[in-house]
Amino acid sequence: MEEILHYTWGAVVSFVLAFAVGITYMGLNRKVTARVQNRIGPPWYQNFLDVLKLGSKKSAIHHGTMHHLGPAFLMVTSVMSLLIIPILNDGKFFPNLNFQGDLIFLIYIMTFGPLGMALGAGQTGNPNSAIGVTRGLAQMAGFEIPWVMALVALMIQFKTTSIVDLMNVQAETGRWLMFSSPFAFIAAIMAMFGMFRYSPFDIVGAPSELASGPMSENGGKYLFTMMSSGSVFTFAKLTLYTDLFLGGADNLLVLIAKTFVLYMIPVLYGLVSPRYRTEQAVRWFWGWPSFFGLLAILQASFF
Amino acid sequence: MKELKKNITRKITSHFSDAAVKEYEGNRVDFTVKKETIPAILFYLKDEMGYNHLSHISCVDWIEEKAFEVIFILWSYSDHLKVFIHTRVDRENPVMDNIDMIWPQANTYEREIKEMYGIQFEGLEAPEEFLLEDWEDMPPMRRDFDTHAYAMKTFWDRQDARKDAQDVRETITRRTGEELPDVAKKYSR
Amino acid sequence: MNDKVSQKIVDIIQNYARQHSLWVLAYGTGCGAIEIPPTMTSRYDAERLGVRGAATPRQADVLLITGYLTTKTLKRVIRVYEQMQDPKYVIGFGSCTINGGMYFDSYNTIKALDRYLPVDVYINGCMPRPEAVLKGFAKLQKLIQAGKADGSKKYKENLDWYRANQKEVIPVWRMPEFNW
Repeated sequence: MEEILHYTWGAVVSFVLAFAVGITYMGLNRKVTARVQNRIGPPWYQNFLDVLKLGSKKSAIHHGTMHHLGPAFLMVTSVMSLLIIPILNDGKFFPNLNFQGDLIFLIYIMTFGPLGMALGAGQTGNPNSAIGVTRGLAQMAGFEIPWVMALVALMIQFKTTSIVDLMNVQAETGRWLMFSSPFAFIAAIMAMFGMFRYSPFDIVGAPSELASGPMSENGGKYLFTMMSSGSVFTFAKLTLYTDLFLGGADNLLVLIAKTFVLYMIPVLYGLVSPRYRTEQAVRWFWGWPSFFGLLAILQASFF
Repeated sequence: MKELKKNITRKITSHFSDAAVKEYEGNRVDFTVKKETIPAILFYLKDEMGYNHLSHISCVDWIEEKAFEVIFILWSYSDHLKVFIHTRVDRENPVMDNIDMIWPQANTYEREIKEMYGIQFEGLEAPEEFLLEDWEDMPPMRRDFDTHAYAMKTFWDRQDARKDAQDVRETITRRTGEELPDVAKKYSR
Repeated sequence: MNDKVSQKIVDIIQNYARQHSLWVLAYGTGCGAIEIPPTMTSRYDAERLGVRGAATPRQADVLLITGYLTTKTLKRVIRVYEQMQDPKYVIGFGSCTINGGMYFDSYNTIKALDRYLPVDVYINGCMPRPEAVLKGFAKLQKLIQAGKADGSKKYKENLDWYRANQKEVIPVWRMPEFNW
């Protein structure tokens, strides 16, 4: 009984931290974009106000049960992936449910959210939603290849499938995995562009191209759920990258510093690049990133 | 330029006897024909004289003379000359021939003239509505359609200007204290 | 004690969030839409106020009627307005929404927008400059803070009057019923 309370408390605290940090990062994204474009942007807490406004809309229009539950699938994905990613190195303040094989579990859970969203968007009958959803799933088939190859390379090299074990390896040898398996790091960074869906891979939810794709029939409270789950998922992915490749973090300040540096990579690259079409994006993902993934697997097996 | 204009004038008046010519400065020549020769003269200009480009089909309402005047504007890429073909159509029963087998874009121009002036084009195949939706009144570009009265009746009767309205320039000069120039004084209320 | 005071605190927080994050539907109805891109881009930045473009009516708060509305467009704009979610605001842009403007004697454009849709703020000019547009947004922010921007409530309560005016101008009425 005490354990269940302990883990529930851990889940709630992790969720609050991820929500706050994720929304701040999205606001900082808008601020950095504005400064690069030579103007003063919104304040850094702008996304908190956006989320509050969306939550205080007085009517919630939906087109059926599946559409109503669509954003809930995204939230479930974010929270579940947050539960098994260790936030700090020792797990004192943020207890977690880690087990052997949770890396493979994570790969499967990360694809569950967009599928649920696709079901919800399909019930609206809006053709923009249907097109956006097919494009999103096609792009996911693109970036999953280098992502899974990088993770498999890590699993082969250190003969473990648990995130905590990989962090312990980094603590013992003193070298970050960024330097021990560089090709996996490069393949994972290239797959990160597809996961975050900033330019050049943002054709899924582009406002002027597609009337924002899967989100086009959601407003008010559903959009609130989607934005929150998006920010929590962003924080979860960044923490996963920090744990796997950059040696984890001992306290919150170090964690925020490392995740911020990692977050700036897709943001700054996205500011200067135009948008790829879906087939160009998938073809790119099966090109150089998969090549680096193959090199990573070869390096892991033979060296 | 002058030779090209002389050339075209000679060719047209020799082939079509009822063409009246009016010359303008620059690169423009006008011809006025009867409405039955329109398809023939347009085919001739396109196929043999090389006037491939139809710029516009326009319409003028001569209500005193009880006629509509339809004007075809053609352009030649090789000679750089504009040719205007004028015809008159009776206002009581306005019927003309359809020419969209010569240039496909004439379909759009003819639809607009049919909707705005009421000229029927025989053989024109197009859907009924074009620009105006659910319009039951007379064609609105004719000169006996009083658009101001129609607007007052259907929409909102705009009230007269306020009786205590002030002139913008005088208000500003009263506030800042500078002088109005003489040029601006004739626009004061 | 619990009802009134806590309701007031909740109202203050909600109005603060609503006024600093206005999402404008990216739909230019008339010729005034040419002043929207300069307002949103680098020189007269409207994103400082939290104003940002939204793609669909379900996600938007503010409907910006920029300029004249023909009867053909009015039918579509009414449909868009009824798809937006409460609370929603309408800004009338340019002098054509106030009293007909330059097209006061045209057979095709409507003259007073307030008879067909409830308008909260007018911005006059033909076209208004971006500084005037920003001042209009600031005025809407002040109205929201005072709790007086209730165009959507006015529409729901006086629906019969608005419908009578709309059906007078649009003869063939083939629209879904307003039920939210």
